[in-house]
Amino acid sequence: MSKYDVIIIGGGHNGLVCASYLSKKGYKILILEKNEKLGGLVNCASSLNGFSSKILGDLNIKLPKLNYNSYIVALHSEQQHTILQENNNKINFIKSNANEENQKKFSSLINKYKIYASTLSNFMYEVPPRLKSGKSKDTWQLINMGWKIRKLGKKNMREFLRVIGLNIADDLEDNLRDNTLMGLLSHEAILGSNLGPRSPGSILSLLYKQAIQNGLFASEKYDFHQLIPSLEKNCLDQGVEIKNNANVKKIITTNNQATGVILDNEEKIEAGIIISNADPKTTYFDLLGTEPLDTDFIRRAKNIRTKGNIAKLTITLKENPLIINIEKEKMNAKFIYAPDINYIERAFNASKYNKYNENLCFEFHHCVNVIVANIYYVPYVKNNTHDKEKLIQHSINLLKPFISNLEIENAELITPNEIEETYNVMGGHWHHGDFEIDQMLMMRPFYGSAQYTTPIKNLYLCSAGTHPGGGITGINGRNAAKKIIRDKI
Amino acid sequence: MSQTNISYKQPLLETPFHEKTREKCYAHDWHKWAGYKVVKQYTSAELEYTAIRNTAGVIDITPMHKYSVQGKDAKKFINKLITRNIDNIQPNQVVYALWCNEDGFLVDDGTVFCFDENNFRICSGERNLNWFEDTAIGFDVTIEDISHSIAALAFQGPLSCKILHMLNANKIENLKPFCFDQFTINNQEITISRTGFSGDLGYELWCDPSQAHEVWDALFSFNKDYKILAAGLDALDMVRVEAGFIVVNADLIAAEHALRPNRMRTPYELGLAWMVNLDKEFFTGKEALIKQKNKGVEKKLIGLDVQGDKPAVGSVLYDGSKKEIGIVTTAMWSPTLKSNIAMGYVNKEFIKLGSKILAEIYHPEELEYRKIWAQCKVVKKQFLNLERRNAVPALI
Repeated sequence: MSKYDVIIIGGGHNGLVCASYLSKKGYKILILEKNEKLGGLVNCASSLNGFSSKILGDLNIKLPKLNYNSYIVALHSEQQHTILQENNNKINFIKSNANEENQKKFSSLINKYKIYASTLSNFMYEVPPRLKSGKSKDTWQLINMGWKIRKLGKKNMREFLRVIGLNIADDLEDNLRDNTLMGLLSHEAILGSNLGPRSPGSILSLLYKQAIQNGLFASEKYDFHQLIPSLEKNCLDQGVEIKNNANVKKIITTNNQATGVILDNEEKIEAGIIISNADPKTTYFDLLGTEPLDTDFIRRAKNIRTKGNIAKLTITLKENPLIINIEKEKMNAKFIYAPDINYIERAFNASKYNKYNENLCFEFHHCVNVIVANIYYVPYVKNNTHDKEKLIQHSINLLKPFISNLEIENAELITPNEIEETYNVMGGHWHHGDFEIDQMLMMRPFYGSAQYTTPIKNLYLCSAGTHPGGGITGINGRNAAKKIIRDKI
Repeated sequence: MSQTNISYKQPLLETPFHEKTREKCYAHDWHKWAGYKVVKQYTSAELEYTAIRNTAGVIDITPMHKYSVQGKDAKKFINKLITRNIDNIQPNQVVYALWCNEDGFLVDDGTVFCFDENNFRICSGERNLNWFEDTAIGFDVTIEDISHSIAALAFQGPLSCKILHMLNANKIENLKPFCFDQFTINNQEITISRTGFSGDLGYELWCDPSQAHEVWDALFSFNKDYKILAAGLDALDMVRVEAGFIVVNADLIAAEHALRPNRMRTPYELGLAWMVNLDKEFFTGKEALIKQKNKGVEKKLIGLDVQGDKPAVGSVLYDGSKKEIGIVTTAMWSPTLKSNIAMGYVNKEFIKLGSKILAEIYHPEELEYRKIWAQCKVVKKQFLNLERRNAVPALI
């Protein structure tokens, strides 16, 4: 008999959440983490606002809430910044160059998106139905999902179904005239996905992200440094074993059934259930190997879009940064530079061909004298041929016009390629795959691998590559645990 | 090769045998096959058919797709690809193989040539590079499309061995069916396999394009006495029906091509259950095929002995109460069997040998159709089973 019931590959937040739920049901669990530190991609994140409060409640974890008014600053190249405030999911204008009509239209547009996002958020906590299973339960669930969309009302439903296929630029240009506001919303729609403002489906991407993170702008609500330690403590309290620096080399299968894993040091560990918190591509191509997988299945796995395009820049300054034309009390804002739709689209165009033009977009915030910035589009390139020195210099040049006292002590940059290598995320994609209509719900990560299951018996997925998707929500881990518990009864 | 010769004036490639085939092609009846121009009929299909069954026919099959599979995992890869088990395959052996998609539907069929443990060649009717490459992800194999660099002739008929023997192909009569070897004819070293699409004694000759003319001429060098003929694809189609061989995208729609999912077929529906080895550890489509085997097929491709002499081309099949139960995929008058044969799909109630069904034949008669209700009997798909096909030593 093996010592463990369950092995979870990867100690990211979803792995920890999944372990917590399963251990409550009495499973003996081992978590294998490749790195020294637990948390996976959370270590790469700069804020946390979408972690599911339902899960925190279920697991009885209390995370300290950060209770301040959060500002969003859309930087303007001539220092005429637009300042918004997000308060209880309401967005107010503090300062803007846009006229009143544009501000009004902006607010109504945001309200429209909010309604649609809340419709989508209904689906987050459900294991999506299986298509073509022939089971009435799945059919009912599908009907139920349709009903929830229908509940928007005739007019709203039509509008919802109209916009989900559209690109965000079209909808913005139909409604607004102010470049900064348009850039700002485009930024939120595409950040983290390999889309441009004119890519079809970028509205859906925005809605979906809003649904996941429970708000439009990802302004910090929890102290995210506390998240992983709290989850870890919760796991350890319930008897979950955690092994750091344990890189899984292979998942062992016999007769199409997962039976254990082999570590880098050739150690073999057996368990009845294997859950992979690595992204689906890594799971199938590296950990499992393609041998026991059908060709069509491999094709679909190969074709999920997981190209990342965000580099994370961390710079330490000699003193706290000062932003030109921004008062001190608003310095805890999130700063966004995505000046207009065409600017973003041009940056995206270059990245499509694995090049980057120097005019990139970014968002950043600061904590004391450290600035953490997400720079995009820095494409994922084959063989990691990035010239990092040049990249860092470019990135700093981008920040320079806005910060009056930019004296740098240290600068570090993580490219999508490095994210791939460090966190077992093929392509270095934040969310393990774009949020597009063919990579969502029962199609996430792809047909044949949805519902957290795999073609291999007793091998499950719980990573961001599954429904509902990325962001730091923990819902994937929870849903996977629910599915496993349901399967095993 | 002649790939560079494509232009808007000449949109089709010419095979290395083109000069030779053009000479003989009085009917000027060409067929487009995989981007090549090959002969459909030289003079008349029936005449060429008669040659294949009575002397021998030479068919240019160069356009056939050929893929070389090389590497450490070549055997493992092929075992994952095809439904048969080739664990015990020996060098110089050929196996007929099917490959299916995840739902068990046929992607294509073809022949697998084993040169050694790490070196195989797959020949198929349809393009498969994409399918092979996706199947090969994670395997240490290199797959290369070598279709254009190998010229191929089918040499089929009762005299085929005799003529190769007279050309001093060393002990060709001892070459077993589904085996191949190197032979020298007319000073050209070429590969000859005892394979074919005629259900008759026959060989396939594989050579470098530069050897094509020499090989072609050699085959015809005894024609003063033996009268072998160049045969076109129409004649080949006649002999293959008699032999009960299927053609992908004629008797079924390849899974990669079908727009309508219910047009795809599994090996069980094609009556090729013997080709599926479910004991093998894994191959694409295994699970779906296990399911279908347990459940049984809904319809199946069967052979039909049709009353009368009017081919049941495209006929709809009915039961005694004229309820529709199937459709004919291929039909012809068989000159050798002197009977009216057809292949078609029927519902599972009628797949038993001897079942009686009706075919609704619309026979064209000078701008009008004559409608015939023909009685049919379900028979084995292999209408013609010739002893000489598999005899070793072969007839010389």
